[in-house]
Order: sequence, then C-alpha cells, then structure tokens
Amino acid sequence: MSTVLYGFFCVFLILTALVASEIEDILSSVISLSINGVLLAILFVILQAPDVALTQAVINSGLVTSLFLVAYSQTEKQDLRRGDDKK
Amino acid sequence: MKHPQAYLKAGAAFICLVLGWWLWQGAEAVQQASSLAGPAAHYVSNAARETGAANIVAAILFDYRGYDTLGEATVIFTTVTGIAMLFARSKYRKSSTGLSFIVKRGLSFIVPFIIMYAAGIVLTGHLTPGGGFQGGAVFATSTILFCIVYGSNFEASRIHPKAKEFTESAGAVLFTVTGLVGLVLGAGFLANASAGFPTGEAGHFLSGGTIPILNIAVGLKVGAGLSTIFYSMVKFLEVKVVAPVEGDET
Repeated sequence: MSTVLYGFFCVFLILTALVASEIEDILSSVISLSINGVLLAILFVILQAPDVALTQAVINSGLVTSLFLVAYSQTEKQDLRRGDDKK
Repeated sequence: MKHPQAYLKAGAAFICLVLGWWLWQGAEAVQQASSLAGPAAHYVSNAARETGAANIVAAILFDYRGYDTLGEATVIFTTVTGIAMLFARSKYRKSSTGLSFIVKRGLSFIVPFIIMYAAGIVLTGHLTPGGGFQGGAVFATSTILFCIVYGSNFEASRIHPKAKEFTESAGAVLFTVTGLVGLVLGAGFLANASAGFPTGEAGHFLSGGTIPILNIAVGLKVGAGLSTIFYSMVKFLEVKVVAPVEGDET
C-alpha cells in the first residue's frame, strides 16, 4: 500500500516537473511548480521527515510561489516566452 | 541541424532516467536500513539526554550544528539586505486598494489563527516538528496575505518597514549574544549543556537549554526578513504599474 502511494506521488511529481519546465506559459509553469512543492511535502511526510515537509510546504508552496508571481507580473511578458527564442 | 539536438535530448533523457533509478534505489535502501552508523547512532541514542530536546532534528540544528545554523541565518540576512538595497531607490507612490469586502472580513477571521499557529511552531520547536525557520516563514505568509488582500499601504501602516528591519536585526543579535554567553562561560561558541544552561527534562516545555531561545531568534529573523523581501518587491511592482500609464498620457 505504502509503495503504491509512494510510486503514485513520484509519477505525479515527475509530471508536474515536466510541465513546469516545458510549458510555454510562465503562469502555468509557476502554478505547476507550486503543485510540485505540495506533492514533495506529502512525500516527505510519507518518508517520515515532518520537519522538512513543513519547510517545503510553507516555503515552496507559499513564499516562492508568491515571489514568482510578483516577479512575473512586473516583467515584460513577451521576452520571457520560450517560443520566441526558437524563431 | 535537427539531428544533434535530437541526440542531445536523448542523452539528457537517458541521464535523467539513470539518476532517477539511482534515487529510487537510494530511497529503497533508506527504507530497508536496519542499523545506524557513525554520528547518526550517537545522535539518536544520546540527543535527548545531552540536550534535553525531544525533537532530535532541533537538537542537531541548534546544538550540535548551531554554527551552521548561524551561517544559514547570515545567508538570509545578506539576501534581505541586498534585496532591500536594490529596491530602496524606487519611490513608493500608489498602493492597491485590495480585494473585496468579503475577502477582507474572511481574512481578518483567519489571521489570528495563522499567527497562533506560527507562534506555536516557533515556541514548541524543541518538542515537535518545526522550529524557528518554519514558524518564521508562516509569520511572513500572514504579512504577505495582508499585503495582497488589504493592499501594501495598509500593511506598511500597521507594521512599519523600519520595525521589520529592527526585528530582523534583533533576532540576529539575540542569536549571536546567546552564542557569546557560551563563549564567556568557557565552553565555546554556541555551547548548550556544557556551558551550564539548564537542559530540563526531555518532553517538557521548559527544556533544551538554549534551543528555545535560538528558535525564537531565528523565527524573528526569518519572519521579518521574508516579509521585508516581499514588501520590497510589491512596492516596486506598484510603481512599475503606474509608470507606463503616465508615459502614455504625455
């Protein structure tokens, strides 16, 4: 049971990491990274590291996401699209 | 031109798969490990008796490896100083008025509980999972919620930015002075039980010697520091949003 749950969270962790790195829209990337942080916090709880899980949940899902959103909303949107590099 | 990139991507995918397999094997090995070796065995068997802290992670962070924690706190201090200096030249002009009435009332019911939770994490850091860093981050989250929901002007009028900087410096000074007390008593920098601090009984609220004091110091420092970072960036943001509108009008 525990291994199945562990594998399930690992697969979703990989999926969110891929979405965060590959998607064109930066806003979706930031939100995907936040989901990645929550899943990682759950994994830390399963692996019996509650201290690290608490840090991960607060820092990655709360603070880093809000800082990324602030940085996103004050920069120029066009320059950061990855599609523009390939043209 | 396409083929080298394809090879590169295949190579990167291969490296990812190998590293992932390695990590999986490591996690399996950690789950199946039966005995501890080296410093870990000493920490697990002696930490509660030597430091009086029931949470072994807090005992390692603030007693055995207190000097490293001081280094981490210095890293945060330097980051906050750099960001505050970087954004200090942008003048504060206009604040957002915040979200709707319902959100404001709802937040005002929730925020006391968030602050109590943060204080609980900081004060019982030597007994339960948590500690100064996590509790301070929850404190910073409550001020960030104020910034978003009520507007940064309201937040700055309730907690002045200078007060935050003072709180952060006070945390740093408290941490260093606690370490220097151990040095003065002849046991070394950041010494806990060997310097004569009462360790109490493991599991009681008043236990752990200097660990609760250092927790409070780190909590003050991290909470004030992270909220200063967010406030500096939001302040800058609101200036940047106003500026292009003025440029279009002229």
